Amino acid sequence: MSSDVILVIVVCTALAFDFTNGFHDTANVVATSISTGAARPQVAIGFAALLNFVGAFISISVAATVANDVVNADVITPTIVFAGLIGAITWNLITWWSGLPSSSSHALIGGVVGSAVAAVGFDAVLAEGLVGKVLVPAVVAPVLAFVVAGLSIGIVYRVVGKQRPGIVSRGFKHGQIVSGGLLALAHGTNDAQKTMGIITLALIANGSLGAGADPPFWVIASSAAAIALGTYSGGWRIIKTTGTRIIKMDAAQGFSAQGAGATVILASTHFGFPLSTTHVINGGVMGAGAAKRISAVRWGVAGNIVTAWLLTLPAAAAIGALVYGFTRIFGTGPLGPLLVTLMSLSLIALLFARRAQRGAPVPASGA
Amino acid sequence: MILASLVEGKEMLETVIASVIGGIGVTFAFSVAIWGVGRFGDLSRNERPLAAGGAIAVAGIALACVGAALLFGIVVMTSK
Repeated sequence: MSSDVILVIVVCTALAFDFTNGFHDTANVVATSISTGAARPQVAIGFAALLNFVGAFISISVAATVANDVVNADVITPTIVFAGLIGAITWNLITWWSGLPSSSSHALIGGVVGSAVAAVGFDAVLAEGLVGKVLVPAVVAPVLAFVVAGLSIGIVYRVVGKQRPGIVSRGFKHGQIVSGGLLALAHGTNDAQKTMGIITLALIANGSLGAGADPPFWVIASSAAAIALGTYSGGWRIIKTTGTRIIKMDAAQGFSAQGAGATVILASTHFGFPLSTTHVINGGVMGAGAAKRISAVRWGVAGNIVTAWLLTLPAAAAIGALVYGFTRIFGTGPLGPLLVTLMSLSLIALLFARRAQRGAPVPASGA
Repeated sequence: MILASLVEGKEMLETVIASVIGGIGVTFAFSVAIWGVGRFGDLSRNERPLAAGGAIAVAGIALACVGAALLFGIVVMTSK
């Protein structure tokens, strides 16, 4: 009974995390289309939310990786998963507050690894999965998006360079409806699956599912709905976004960046690699910008992304470990997770109230 | 050596190849489609209907390639 209470808390926390993931990432997904004038904000945001929802249903490879290949499900308990989630949410709030463009995905995996190590020791971590399916793709994917976008825009300028600018711009703006949609689909499929994976891991840990089980349909549907709702809600709070923060783009660059980001995320998703979609999209945007003019890219923003990338896994892991230690003070029952949930909700309410009092804009973070 | 054994080498390589072919290929095909439409307009204005027809046919084939690539990608994604 007490483990069921913890499980319910974990599921609610995971869906809340999924909602904030969509909320933060709206900017990254739609900014390129909006900044080049390819789509009106309302249309781009609605379209992105819908395709986020659809995307969550097209694959479960990433969910399987998160549930089975990062930590040993045999030694995991729902409280460990809960502590990892709180570690990720706390790190997301810290980076959101300080304007650091961190990855929610890395925070989630870091948090769960940290709480698992604190609870069981390093034996709980599956090094092969963590390195091969998380850490290496985390480095390779943004670089790959940078290279693909850079090569793509080079080819575009070669093919259409002598055409009248009007027709080229109009053509790529139409193309961005497809490339932007594909990016939203890719974002939905990779990011929603991380939440599916975490909930599935908690269900396995609770004994509700057998080891190696796929996510049940209700987990897929609720994760899809949470990220889509988050994306739709987050769209109305875009202040500064990827498209204009890193580089001022034309429609051809937007198309190349979105195309590169979408193909890298979809190909990675197919093989079950949980990526930071934010880092991949930013890699594509920078590649499309750098290929035209190196100085056009705001390398300071790129530096912040690298800093956030380096800090996120260890920081979220440390917070996850601390949260697990705190919950254990109150035993193995639901009291610890309940107290942490109440404290977290109070802290979030306080942060939002202070932001609202100051009238400060909500900075974009990412997954 | 230990790191190499941990990395999903084959899957990572396939991801790189699929991303490069998909990303660059689709962008190239779409650029060709725009080129075809642009040339169709220019050649039509110059009253060269045969060449204009060729240009718009190239644009159509290129767009069909883009559509086929997207369809293939979605089928591959959903079939696993």
